[in-house]
Amino acid sequence: MARSRASAQSVPTRQGRGWAHDHSTDNDWLSTAAVDTSWASGPGAGTVFQPTTSRASTESRQALCLWLPTFELRLELVRSPELDSTSVALLSPDERTRRTVWQVSERAHEAGVRPGQLVSQAVSLCTSLTLLEPDPAHYDAAVDTMLEALTELTPVIEPAGRGRVFLGMDGLERLFGSSTRQVDRALSLLFRVFPSPLVAATRAGVAPGKFGAWVAAASARSGRPVIVPEPRLLSFFTECPIGSLPVDPLVIQRLERLGVRTLGELRRFPEPALVAQFGEEGRHALNWATARRIDPVRPWHRPRPIRVSLDFPNPIGLTGTLHSALDRLVERSLARPARRGRSVTGVRMGARLEGGGSWFVETVLREPTSDRERIAAPLRAKMAIAPPPRAVETLLLELTEFGVQSTQTQLFDRNIDGARAAGELDFNQGEVPVSLRDAVKELKLRIGHSPLYRVVEVDPWSRIPERRHALLSFDP
Amino acid sequence: MPYSASIPEPAPPMHHRPRLKPLGTPKSVVVRTDEHGTPIYVRLPGKPARRVAVIRERWRIDDEWWRHTISRDYLTVVLDDGKALTLYHDLLMDAWYMQRG
Repeated sequence: MARSRASAQSVPTRQGRGWAHDHSTDNDWLSTAAVDTSWASGPGAGTVFQPTTSRASTESRQALCLWLPTFELRLELVRSPELDSTSVALLSPDERTRRTVWQVSERAHEAGVRPGQLVSQAVSLCTSLTLLEPDPAHYDAAVDTMLEALTELTPVIEPAGRGRVFLGMDGLERLFGSSTRQVDRALSLLFRVFPSPLVAATRAGVAPGKFGAWVAAASARSGRPVIVPEPRLLSFFTECPIGSLPVDPLVIQRLERLGVRTLGELRRFPEPALVAQFGEEGRHALNWATARRIDPVRPWHRPRPIRVSLDFPNPIGLTGTLHSALDRLVERSLARPARRGRSVTGVRMGARLEGGGSWFVETVLREPTSDRERIAAPLRAKMAIAPPPRAVETLLLELTEFGVQSTQTQLFDRNIDGARAAGELDFNQGEVPVSLRDAVKELKLRIGHSPLYRVVEVDPWSRIPERRHALLSFDP
Repeated sequence: MPYSASIPEPAPPMHHRPRLKPLGTPKSVVVRTDEHGTPIYVRLPGKPARRVAVIRERWRIDDEWWRHTISRDYLTVVLDDGKALTLYHDLLMDAWYMQRG
């Protein structure tokens, strides 16, 4: 049965009973499911594992990874301690038609319930299963609290999904002592803001680079951090499972089918063979396995989002009303003084639902804009695909990512209202924006000719590659 | 009788005329092959020779026999430094080229 509960908007306080749900055994991190590497391709993944050639002063080579497995479910159990000794499963926040299980408690796991199962399957396996609706707003608030608390230890903090964070530890030994003491310090900061059962489940790993720290944290047990000094890094990787590599899961599957189980076995392959089989992913995998690639921790800069909300006197379920409310929220958010001079590139819409729980959709805009319709349209499309599961008490809007206000967007702009009304503008027709014409004029004055070209199709289906396309000089 | 024919516009000077530049033109490379004609070393312009580690794909193009016949043996190779290249052997000229696209 789905359990409804009051929605708590703040992070959990230090309360709740003893924690008994660390259902990870010593070796369960060896399985791919336990070592979930989705954080390397999730939000912010672009900055999680990027190769670096030069080290900026703000980066940190020595990394501490703090990982709270099943973070969201643990937060729910802290919020509802009476469920602590029961079979509990958290529903997936994504699917709306065929709901699946996202995270399960230890008791539910013992009854055979597994993440990814359909609700009907899970309930048939465990009839006393309590299903919880996800509350992303609550989880995100907890993550924000965690990051804020950890800034007291180091300013170099890089989150990697909920419940997982990398801390840059370079230079901290003079302040806090050895790596063990630094880990203790980090955990003590978490104890200040989270209840002890939650913090006690935290796994910690220290190693050079984020990959090493992550593998160390994944192999650690609660309360026993794994610290890998640089000279031991290569030998430490030898027995690590290839499932710990943050590469495409299909690559991992293929490697396992080929009988490659550990990073040590992967190291035996020459780089060209891996590149030939897996492309760039193969090269990255080898670089991580051989400790040639050390990804420093980069401080995470998140602009302060602009948040607006609208409370409904009665919960609303009508899509049309929600659309109107969204339009009003977009207008209000764009009118905020903090937004002026900036365009918007990322936006998030959420709702507090009747009977508890929350709902969120997020989108990255195709191009920076401050146009109401362009911001609202993708959100409406997302809402049509994944509508709020229940009536909405409060509608929230966050402008999360910002771009510079630039006149360059007009350069090739064919989407301006006039252009759209007049049909497709084509440069062949001489309809060139004034800004582009001016830019070309300036370039011609400086270098004598227009250095701009257009790619034109000559014979796009030709079997001869050089026949397919050509560059045509562009001089409006 | 009035002269009504319009005066034609003068042709734009040469440097104002649209310029067309080919894309994806082949570049000459030095290739050492084995006794079967399979490349074993490739030297890109200005770089040291690298060993061919893997040949990923191979195909043949015979075309345009009605004007200038084209007969090429294409290969996608991976060098020992991990770099992937598309090469072709011009079977008429017996020359090797690197090409994008």
